[in-house]
Amino acid sequence: MSSAFTAMLDGLTRQRGVRAALVASEQDGIVVDSSLQIGQSGDRVAALAASLYRKARLSSQAAHLGAVSFMQLEAPQGRLCAVGAGSLVLIVVAQSAANIGLIRVEMLRAAADIPALAGGGFA
Amino acid sequence: MADDVSRLSDELARDPASLTFVPLGEALRRRGQLDLALRVAVRGLERHPHLADGHDLLARIAADRGELQRAFDEWDMVLRLSAGHAGALRGMGFVCFQQGRLDEAERYLDAATAENPADEGIAQALVTVRAARHREAPAVQPPVAPDVRAIEPPTTDDAGWQDTLERVAPDEVASGHEPPSDPTHVHDARYLFTVVLEDGDQTALLLDRDGLVLGGAYFDHDGFDVAQEVGAELSGVTDAARRATRHLALGDWTSIVFETEVAVVAMAPSVDDGLLVLATSRATPLGLVRRLLDRCAQHAVRWLGERAA
Repeated sequence: MSSAFTAMLDGLTRQRGVRAALVASEQDGIVVDSSLQIGQSGDRVAALAASLYRKARLSSQAAHLGAVSFMQLEAPQGRLCAVGAGSLVLIVVAQSAANIGLIRVEMLRAAADIPALAGGGFA
Repeated sequence: MADDVSRLSDELARDPASLTFVPLGEALRRRGQLDLALRVAVRGLERHPHLADGHDLLARIAADRGELQRAFDEWDMVLRLSAGHAGALRGMGFVCFQQGRLDEAERYLDAATAENPADEGIAQALVTVRAARHREAPAVQPPVAPDVRAIEPPTTDDAGWQDTLERVAPDEVASGHEPPSDPTHVHDARYLFTVVLEDGDQTALLLDRDGLVLGGAYFDHDGFDVAQEVGAELSGVTDAARRATRHLALGDWTSIVFETEVAVVAMAPSVDDGLLVLATSRATPLGLVRRLLDRCAQHAVRWLGERAA
């Protein structure tokens, strides 16, 4: 079953090195839609990534640094990236060898479309 | 004098980021308004944590308030920022003399004299210390100075005092003085990362596992230290990052970087599930951010190790 986000998420997972792309609620980390190339639970990935993104956003707010545009967690075997879009957060899991610059650009572009795709229901 | 304070206050109000806090704080100190001078100095240093003259001002205010150890620590910071700073050397000599540490007082004043041979005040202070040492010999260290009034604390009223604010080359430090060689030896934890950070628009913070501040500071664009607030919001980041990377089999996380409208914030794990947070301007290249983060992390580990020892 496809959602308004399916095409966007499929486009992201076609990027080289991207293992998963998800849209989740920032507040509770509940998955809205996902495109997974891994056999793991998207729910847990979304919950943890949304939690990290929320902490980043709140700390930025506390420091008067403005809105958070892009966040990435780096580890030896890969990266977890997140971009906020209203009350939703776009999440990508990528291999360490992936072109993070390109993924970042694609995520920011995709996140800009999320409010329209969500039809005002989330953003 | 009152006009000076009024004019400088207006100037600082017009441009809170200016260096006017230094002459304003000094003017207040000379008027004896030490609490107000202290507030001006601390607020100014929040915006300009690497300004040697700012720390020098704070040291003189502390000396006037009788807070000798704090004064010594601030002059110690001045020497880190401006090696061979004669005013700081003289100030530290003053504190040592007040505390009866005559050998150290002589070394600091020797070094100050080498930096500024024309300063008669320093020369006279050195004579006084040597005379005191002679009287004390062969005693090891007197508990208190024999005549604490013999050496006055540095003041801008002294001839040549402003000259001592000039920066001099590190290799010009006189042989008698050995500034602390270990940069991890920091007295005020707020300035933990001063020796590592390169620009005034960079700030760093070390948090424990609960998000409580261990060291460093986190200044917002208005110059306020919001370290506690940022720490509270970032509480639990280390645990969440660990669980995420474990779940995804990515290995131990090494950094989290997020971009905001005005800054790049980078975080790295620290000792005992602590968290290191570095904020720089958006103009800072990401490669430099990572390098700074690495340097801050290494510095934090050394500092924590020293405190544990």
